[in-house]
Amino acid sequence: MWSDTFLIIFISVVTAFFGEGVTWLMVYRTEKYQKLKLEVERQCKKLEKRKEATGESVIVKNQKKKLEREEEKLKTNTRDLSLVKMKSMFAIGVAFTALLSIFNSIFDGRVVAKLPFIPLGFLQGISHRNLPGTDYTDCSFIFLYILCTMAIRQNVQKLLGFAPSRAVSKQSGNIFGPPPAK
Amino acid sequence: MGGRSELEKHSAGNTWSKVLQRQIEWPDKDEFLDIIYWLRQVLGIILGLIWGIIPLTGVVGLSLFFVCNAGILYLYFSGFQKVDEEEFGGAWELTKEGFMTSFAGFLVTWIVVYSGLHFSEHDFQPFVAS
Repeated sequence: MWSDTFLIIFISVVTAFFGEGVTWLMVYRTEKYQKLKLEVERQCKKLEKRKEATGESVIVKNQKKKLEREEEKLKTNTRDLSLVKMKSMFAIGVAFTALLSIFNSIFDGRVVAKLPFIPLGFLQGISHRNLPGTDYTDCSFIFLYILCTMAIRQNVQKLLGFAPSRAVSKQSGNIFGPPPAK
Repeated sequence: MGGRSELEKHSAGNTWSKVLQRQIEWPDKDEFLDIIYWLRQVLGIILGLIWGIIPLTGVVGLSLFFVCNAGILYLYFSGFQKVDEEEFGGAWELTKEGFMTSFAGFLVTWIVVYSGLHFSEHDFQPFVAS
């Protein structure tokens, strides 16, 4: 009873590479993206270092202003970066929705696997989607596909070196998170 | 760019040879976090395989996974490597690293192995057969 599950894993590996490939074509290889990415990474590291060097309590007013200006610049660049990415995200979104509906109709009403646990209530809508009966250990195509994508996509990104660097995600977390106490 | 250039910088072989050495210095934090990330992915898949073969099911299986995943990696970075957790922003940051991806990988392996080993075609599509 391996064929369906392996087919789904194969599909999600292919779509993950396909998605990254399209993003590479449309975004990663463009000069604009590379420049912006380098700039954002550089700024993030600089900011982090400066924050570490100047203890929070003894920041002179002048330095504080400088820091804020840098943060402002970083914010603008991060926004530009996500705008550049948006275009390909949209294209991939459309392509994947189409693909997904094709696979959905192929696997319609088909139990592709047995779950070794009963999913929480709100997940049963996905894990038991379009399946007959009330055995909630039955697993639908879409549930396994989502899990596969979750497991594979980020690893593929990391393997290919397209995942955002840690310094950047940390800084952007700071920017969009609660502002530091003043 | 990101991971690949980092690996090239440290050279992948060199990095992985440090994994099994005790209490090595990790001047680059990202290098150590990458190690934790990939170890966690491998661990997730191995646990998924074991859970599927035994088979463990239900809440027991899920909670045992959380305990093992967090516990084994904790033993690795605090017992084996003895890194200063504060340098990485506390034990929680290290425990979070790659956790969701590892959990998804675990679930996929667990489900696939469990249904492949312990069920037949008839269990899957009883409404078709009958």
